[in-house]
Parts: sequence; C-alpha cells; structure tokens
Amino acid sequence: MRLPARSVFLGSLGALAFFGGWEALSHSGLVNPIMLPAPSLVVRSGAELLGSGELARHLAASLWRAALGFVSGALLAIGLGIAMARSAGLYDLINPLVQMFRAIPSLAFVPIAIFWFGIGETSKIFLVAWGVFFPVWVNTYIGVRDTSPLLLRAGASLGAGNWRLLAFVVLPAALPLILAGLRVGLSIALVVLVAAELAGAAFGVGYLIQMSQTVFRVDQMFVGLVVLGMMGYLADFLFEWAVRTLLPWYGAERGRG
Amino acid sequence: MPLASWRAEERPVVASGTQAVPALIDINGVSHSYRSAGGQNHAALAEVSLTIGAGEFVCLLGPSGCGKTTLLNMIAGFLTPTHGEVRVGGEVVRGPGPERGVVFQDYSLFGWLTALGNVAFGLRMAGVPRALRRRKAEEGLRAMGLEGVAGRYPFELSGGMKQRVAIARALATEPQVLLADEPFAALDAMTRASLQAQLLDIQQRSGTTVVFVTHNIAEAVFLGSRILVMSAHPGRVVEDVRIDLPRPRRRTSTPFNALYEHLSRAIGLEGDE
Repeated sequence: MRLPARSVFLGSLGALAFFGGWEALSHSGLVNPIMLPAPSLVVRSGAELLGSGELARHLAASLWRAALGFVSGALLAIGLGIAMARSAGLYDLINPLVQMFRAIPSLAFVPIAIFWFGIGETSKIFLVAWGVFFPVWVNTYIGVRDTSPLLLRAGASLGAGNWRLLAFVVLPAALPLILAGLRVGLSIALVVLVAAELAGAAFGVGYLIQMSQTVFRVDQMFVGLVVLGMMGYLADFLFEWAVRTLLPWYGAERGRG
Repeated sequence: MPLASWRAEERPVVASGTQAVPALIDINGVSHSYRSAGGQNHAALAEVSLTIGAGEFVCLLGPSGCGKTTLLNMIAGFLTPTHGEVRVGGEVVRGPGPERGVVFQDYSLFGWLTALGNVAFGLRMAGVPRALRRRKAEEGLRAMGLEGVAGRYPFELSGGMKQRVAIARALATEPQVLLADEPFAALDAMTRASLQAQLLDIQQRSGTTVVFVTHNIAEAVFLGSRILVMSAHPGRVVEDVRIDLPRPRRRTSTPFNALYEHLSRAIGLEGDE
C-alpha cells in the first residue's frame, strides 16, 4: 500500500523537477527564451495582467459566456429530453434530426456561428449552448425513459398524479443521469468557448491567447493556458461539491446502479 | 378441535354471498389475458369472482404463474382487467390511488428522500401541511420501531428496515386496504418473522384490510384470517380457506401443521389430491 505522505512527496518531486528543468532550459541559452519563457516569467506576467485588471476582464467575459450558454443549453436539453421521453410522437418527429446534428462535432459550427451572429456575445453563447445540449439531452432522455416502473407505481399509489409524478418521482430518479450529462456538458462548454474566442472576439481568455500570439507574448499565452486549466478544474470541483452537498444520496445511488 | 373449525369454514371457490361482513373489495368476473410474442392469448387470470370484507387479512397463496400478483395489481389499479371489474369501497377501480396502499417486494423506496420523507410522501401529495405530515410520518416510523432512522436515506438502511419504512409509507395515508406483493420474500428468516409479527400487530390494532400475496405456506397460515389458494394455467382461485386459529399462532402447533399440510396438497406440492 502506498503511503499518502510518500505519494505527496513523489508528486511534489515530479512537479518540481518538471518546472525546475523548464526554468533551467529557458535560461540555458539552448532555446529562445521568447519561444519558451521560464515559469518564473509566466508567473510575473500573470501577476502583471492580474494587477492591471486585464485578466479579470477577460476571465469575466469568458465566465459570463460559459454560464449563459451552459444554462440555456442545459435547460433546453432537459426540457426536450423529458418531452421526448414522455411522448413517442414527439420522439419520432425530432429524434432523426437530433441524431443528425449530434453527429457533427460542435467545433465545426464555429465559423458558421460567427458568420451568422458576428464575433459578439451571441455567437459564443450559441456555440456553448449547442455543445452542452447534446450530452445533457441524451442523458435526460434515457434517465426519464428508464425510470423504474415500480417507483412510478409507488408514486401513483401514494396519490401522485401525472405532473407531480414527473416532478417528485421521475425527475429525482433521473437526476443522477442528468447530472452526469451536465458534467460532460461542462467540459464541452469550455472547449467550445475557447475555440469560439480564438476564432474571433474582443474579450475573453481565448482572445487573450490569440492576441498575445500576434504580439509575440508567449508568456501571456501561457498565462491564458494556466487560467483555462484552473477554470476547468474549479468548474468540475464546484460541480462535484454542489452535488455532494445538495444531494447526499447521489453517490450511493450511483454506486448501486 | 381447531382443525375441524377451519374445515367447517371451508368454502367453495365462488361462494361470496354468504359473507357476514359487508364487502370492501368486490371482484366480479375478473380475468386478465395477454398476448405472447407468438401471438397467442394467455390467461394470466381466468374469471375470478370473490369479495373481501373490511378488516380481513387475506393471503393470496399459490405457485408462480397462478395470477396472484396479477390479481393484486388489478386491485391496486396498476392493471386493468380484460373482463369484469374490481370495486373497492363501492367504487370501480380505474387506477392507483392513496386509499389502496401498496407494499412492493423490492421496497421501491424513493432513494432521494429520507425515511421520513418517504413516509410523508403520500401526505405531501394529499396536501397535508408540513408540520402535520412530519408529525404523522414520525408516528408511522415509531409504529414500525424505526424512531432512530428518520433522517437516514434508503441506501443506509438494511433490507428489513427498508421494508418497515415501505410499510409505514403505505399506511401513512390511512388507506382502506393494504396491498402487499410478497413483501418479505427477499428477507432472511429472522427478519421475516419479526416483520410478520409487526405487520400483524399493526393490522390487528388498526383493523386495516390486508391483501397479501405470498408463495410461502407457513407465512400465509401465520398471517391470514383467510387464504385464497390459487393455481396456474389458467390462473384461478381453487380454494377459499377461513382460518380461525387463535393468535398468536404457534408455527409448531398441530393444527398449524395440519393446515400447512392441507395447503401444500392444495397448491400441488404434496400428494395427488
């Protein structure tokens, strides 16, 4: 069995070796320090961007787009997922279309979204919502469709009518699957957002990277990468934390299958 | 002596007009058939007519495929009879409802609600105010000996505790009838015996009518005030036995075992006829 202290030590050693080696390599003269700025320089540039308020502006723009796109895409997906699971006619009507669009990678829609909606907010929000929609839709549909008939019977025999059965039995029963879809959607949202910002924007972390490239500020590009990594990590962490706090039964339910 | 008493009370299959108690459940010419993959019609239940009086503890006893669960599901309103009708309290059953509480074999608790939330569910659907339904649910849990687990989720409970919660949940709305579909089949023998005693105790005190599906003969003899013996192909009631053995019934007593033997023969486990 591996001791935690030992794991922590080895992990720190690996990170230290990696960043130390990188620092040394940047100062060694073997590589152009403009092309590969040292980690210490990246940290300094990050502090500078933070101090000037520029980083916060980019970050706020990105987060706002991500949140708006995520929420609208997820709401639409959950609504349509429920409706299609409850109505065979609606399912037959829409399913071929959804499957067709689902097969196209959402990144491929970046150029056409910019063509349609310009480089403003609308195209970003549309693209994020589009990317989030499919994993959430699939999971909601399956979760609602496969609700245990015995739970439905239990709910109905306790006096729950159609709508309350949906609200108090079907949705909670489908929630683990819906949440799993939302989590996948969260990571997709980030990917699509950055792609859209790289393709054209006036603000945002993706734009920061793009703009830094045109002015040879590789150090700032690295700052952008670090910020994106932190965003992704924090989003996932917060999501997990919220689920665990709000739904204490969730892990056990999932584990039991 | 007790042997004679239950034999004397034995009734033919369709004799229901001689009930002393007014009928709470009236099953009138009910059959249920389904079409198999091959396109043939199968009779899960063929022409059953009987009545169940208020306060009876009726066990539907029979092998698998005899239609006992089908019959229960029709009383619960989960299935619609192909022919005939089921009335409960004079009303034709058209769907599930809170006046008919149901206990399932696999508990079917709501995993996202605590034990208390599960028991309070029916009261919540009935619009009972929060404070009152909380108090009633706590009472229900206490009646099942579950004071300590109100705040726990189903995944934190043992099988026996889950089924106790499920019984409290079904009884919380004070239904006219409690319908139970092999509720103790998945439990170990000790837990099963204690749950049987508990259910019986609650039933005796509240006077709730119980329809209880089981394939366990000893369970039926221990619990039932009446046993409907069912048989398969097609599903039908072959014997209607009234049990007057005094309670608490001892599983080792002679009349208990005589009845056990008789029922074993009736469901075809032993002897010819």
